Amino acid sequence: MTGIKAGGDEPHLLTGATGFLGSHIMAGLLAEGKRVVIAGRSSSREPLKERIRRLLHWFGMECREGLLEFHEIDFLKPRMGLGRAEYDRLRGRGCPVIHCASDTRFTEKNRAMVMKSNVESLATILDFATASGARWFHFISSAYAAGIDRFACPEAPVHSLRFNNVYEESKALAEDRVAGKCREEKIPYTIIRPAIVYGDSSTGKSLRFNALYFPVRSLQHIRDIYLDEIKNRNGMKAAECGIFINDEGVLHLPIRIFIPHEGKINLVPVNYFTKTILAILEKPENETFYHITSNRPENMTRLASYAERFLEITGIEVVIGAAGADAMKNPPEELFDYFIKAYRPYISDKRDFFRENTDRATGGVLPPDFGYEIFQKCMAFAVAADWGKRLFD
Amino acid sequence: MDDVLKTAKSCRHYAMCKIDFLGTGLCRAGEEKHFVSFYPQGRMDLYAALAENRIPITEKCVEIAESCDLCGKCDYQCYFVTEMKPTAVMKALKEHIRLHLENGGDVLAAEKDSILDGIKEIVGDDWATNDRAIALTYSHDPCPAAEPRLPDYIAMPGSSAEISAVIQLLNRHGIPYAVRGNGSSVMGFVMSEGAVIDLGRMKAIVFDEKNWLVKVGPGVAAFDLQKAAVKRGFRVNAAEPSALVCANIMCSGIFSTFSASYGTAADNYIDAEFVGHDGSVFRLSDPSAPNLFGFRRADSALPGICSSASIRLHPVPADEGAAFVPFASLERALDFARECAGRRIGLAIGVLGGEYVSVFLSPTKKLAAEVKDAFRDKLKMEYLVLVIGDKYALHSIKAMGYPYFDNRMIRILNLGLPALTSAKWLDLMDELADDKPFSYLGLAHFPDLAEAALAPSSAQLVGDVDPELRPFFEKLYARPEMTDPVWLNMFRIVSARMGREKHVVAMIIYLPIDHTLIAGIGREFKRIADSHGLKNDFGFITPLDDGKRCVFEYDYYLDQNDPREKIKMRQAMMETGMMIEKFSAATGTVTWIRHVFCQGFSRKESFLYSGAGTGP
Ligand SMILES: Cc1cc2nc3c(=O)[nH]c(=O)nc-3n(C[C@H](O)[C@H](O)[C@H](O)COP(=O)(O)OP(=O)(O)OC[C@H]3O[C@@H](n4cnc5c(N)ncnc54)[C@H](O)[C@@H]3O)c2cc1C
Ligand SMILES: NC(=O)c1ccc[n+]([C@@H]2O[C@H](COP(=O)([O-])OP(=O)(O)OC[C@H]3O[C@@H](n4cnc5c(N)ncnc54)[C@H](OP(=O)(O)O)[C@@H]3O)[C@@H](O)[C@H]2O)c1
Ligand code: SF4
Repeated sequence: MTGIKAGGDEPHLLTGATGFLGSHIMAGLLAEGKRVVIAGRSSSREPLKERIRRLLHWFGMECREGLLEFHEIDFLKPRMGLGRAEYDRLRGRGCPVIHCASDTRFTEKNRAMVMKSNVESLATILDFATASGARWFHFISSAYAAGIDRFACPEAPVHSLRFNNVYEESKALAEDRVAGKCREEKIPYTIIRPAIVYGDSSTGKSLRFNALYFPVRSLQHIRDIYLDEIKNRNGMKAAECGIFINDEGVLHLPIRIFIPHEGKINLVPVNYFTKTILAILEKPENETFYHITSNRPENMTRLASYAERFLEITGIEVVIGAAGADAMKNPPEELFDYFIKAYRPYISDKRDFFRENTDRATGGVLPPDFGYEIFQKCMAFAVAADWGKRLFD
Repeated sequence: MDDVLKTAKSCRHYAMCKIDFLGTGLCRAGEEKHFVSFYPQGRMDLYAALAENRIPITEKCVEIAESCDLCGKCDYQCYFVTEMKPTAVMKALKEHIRLHLENGGDVLAAEKDSILDGIKEIVGDDWATNDRAIALTYSHDPCPAAEPRLPDYIAMPGSSAEISAVIQLLNRHGIPYAVRGNGSSVMGFVMSEGAVIDLGRMKAIVFDEKNWLVKVGPGVAAFDLQKAAVKRGFRVNAAEPSALVCANIMCSGIFSTFSASYGTAADNYIDAEFVGHDGSVFRLSDPSAPNLFGFRRADSALPGICSSASIRLHPVPADEGAAFVPFASLERALDFARECAGRRIGLAIGVLGGEYVSVFLSPTKKLAAEVKDAFRDKLKMEYLVLVIGDKYALHSIKAMGYPYFDNRMIRILNLGLPALTSAKWLDLMDELADDKPFSYLGLAHFPDLAEAALAPSSAQLVGDVDPELRPFFEKLYARPEMTDPVWLNMFRIVSARMGREKHVVAMIIYLPIDHTLIAGIGREFKRIADSHGLKNDFGFITPLDDGKRCVFEYDYYLDQNDPREKIKMRQAMMETGMMIEKFSAATGTVTWIRHVFCQGFSRKESFLYSGAGTGP
């Protein structure tokens, strides 16, 4: 982190600080010398404070722990699960709130929990903001709250009735509730909508390895299965699928990636996300929506070529359209298709996210283009961290 | 305790060395002499007693030691089940006797005894003894609640007439007796200070195909009967392979996964012949015979000795296969099992816990522990419901929307188990957000991919088997039946592995398939065992009578050589008994197996439904 500035007196109350984006917001504020009130929860293995300490260590910011204050909360309980005295003390301070906590699961089977965490629990935190006369309420939403009714997505309230999944739907509902309550209670608010956030574009570091990472990881594992079969056994299974090591010693792994249409994948690096959010927090505009999105989203064909280069394989082909009933002939192709099923809407996305408000807040600073160099750095970090398993080793 | 003595004292008494379940042939001396003392199991007990100076060296002791030719068959058999190698004990036994004889030690001759002479007159000289070495091998089992009892006599009758005559003789002399099959009930039932009547010689198997029955003597083991039945294109309901069929009916009524359709208790047989305690012989189909079909909800004594039973034969569909349907929760697994039973889908149904599946599939304890973790953590499979059925049954499961491991996938998974534990690609399955759990099993090419990834082979599977035995096991697991779930369920040769790590004490109850009730009792089983620091785990549940009831096994484990664990287990068993009685009184629908022991020939309806016998 660079550009450490002396902070003002007023700390932000931050939820979701144990997560990917929340922790980066925390680190960003700390880097500016600002105090942060962490409102979070312990995990089954570790108390909240230890979780945050581990993250501070990861950011190399242990020395800033003194700027933090910890409150164990549970949104699903009255007074956010805080004791009366603790609640009253916290309420009395009127801290601006950054609500970043969210259940980010897509699947329908988790609908009840996603709705509970992302929508119903808002009442408790909004009541707190009201009771404390919060100076600001910043809600971290998602660009994909836009839904799928229209391709042109302005920095404005959502009008869609259809969504790709329950996560998007819950974020749209939550935005509506935040806006309604804040307007009613006269709490100034912003709604901040990132696109898909990946690791740090300059270091490759990341704390989460889903979205962009998952398909690459899937390909890596599928590659390793067949490499092992060719090198250590007879390679019969590989041969049956047309997989072989070519004359340059590179594995030819014929996998077609089926996407419904020639769409885009909207990616921003987490360092850009942090910088942008800090700029917004510096001079927030009431009732404003901000798209933290890329102005030049990537396409799958290019990402597939990056993946081939990174994994040292050939044969990956992007096919527009659905696979026919008998088109899925090859076991690795079928498995890969299965792995990326949940991400399909985001890798061939036709939505276009406008970003005038964000440009105004950042003075027009744009995210870097997602070239192979950044891809390589991010994936190399991910592989070294064993896709998150050895993140804190 | 040195390793050899430890092995000797760790024999589980599951009698697996008394059946030829690996095709190695049996211990030659055991097959010839029949007394358990001449089988590896008896020799283990004998060596332990000699090493601890509990018995003198007798004539039979010498004969037993000398009759072992150190062929090594028992290593294969015992290792398969318990991972122990008994031949080290056999060598030590021979050496012990050799040194004793070399040093001019005494050899105790059998005492003259007029009662023994009387028994010998009935059964023949070779088939009765009072030798202390033989008696010792009939004196105990690993049951923590039973004290050893050294019998005065052991008799091996060869016919129902001989059984009757022996009983009358014992009655005349006021000598108590115990009836013994293979002793693998391991609950202290087959011991007596008087006489033990070992039925192991009566091994007749006579098929009556026209009447769909096979008449068996009381010395016929389930494995041998199943083998004979399968050879003729039939199947019988069998549980533990080493259990003698008549004993098993008497003791627990025989419950197996096939009980979902074949039933249990009186469902198993068409008729049976008994010798009463007064020596009289009767058949159950005779209207004037004592009524063994009824049931008393209380501890009972043996109603007599079953001297033969006509066991039901079942047809075997040619297109039969297995489905292992995975579930993340017991509730969903139970729903599915009940639905299959209610719709009569499948012949065998069993809800199995991760402990059973991993232990049954793995040749070693170490691999089993790793596999259990992989099933739970990587594959999120807490429970598997096994269904065996014809192609229509299997189609129905698919049509019901349940993805499953079929025969091919089970073979791949089984032979690829070691690779499963280190397979990184499986982590993706776990992290993958999908609405339908285990939907990857529905991918058309998943088996091909799994085959490429897991590299299934018997060589891989036996990677951590004792190097000396590895070549044998590699060949063994290459045999198709060793990874065929249908065969394995019919012959049950892997289920005794549940006692591999420690001796198992099974808690068994009959009750409705009711989530709340089963979860409540399951929690209590666990709480009690945990409070005594005993290893415990869910065993299995099989629906009975179209899913209106089920049999539920929960297992406690103990080190049979640890006196503290034995005390803890006794206490836990007592508390568990009280807990079951409480549920039984509160619900009127829970039956404890303890009350079925000795009443296994009764109609299942008599013990499954408390309303039985309370009619107008
Ligand atoms: C690991 C393990 C798993 C098991 N799983 C199952 C299971 O899934 N299903 C199941 O049903 N059982 C199961 N059992 C229980 C066991 O198989 C039965 O108790 C069976 O009876 C043992 O057979 P056996 O020949 O060794 O009988 P024994 O132990 O010799 O005798 C059992 C009882 O029957 C009496 N008896 C023996 N022969 C006769 C006869 N001819 N007439 C009258 N009474 C006689 C004995 O006196 C004794 O009371 C399991 C046991 C073990 C150790
Ligand atoms: N990452 C992206 O690419 C992306 C893109 C667009 C929008 N967003 C938005 O950014 C925000 C943060 O996302 P993220 O990627 O950082 O997610 P994340 O890593 O999954 O973190 C989620 C955070 O929310 C907390 N949380 C979840 N459910 C909770 C509950 N019921 N009660 C209390 N806390 C709860 C988590 O706490 P625990 O650690 O205790 O579970 C964690 O701190 C979300 O609002 C998300 O919608 C993210
Ligand atoms: S080694 Fe001895 S006890 Fe074991 S099977 Fe061979 S003869 Fe029997």
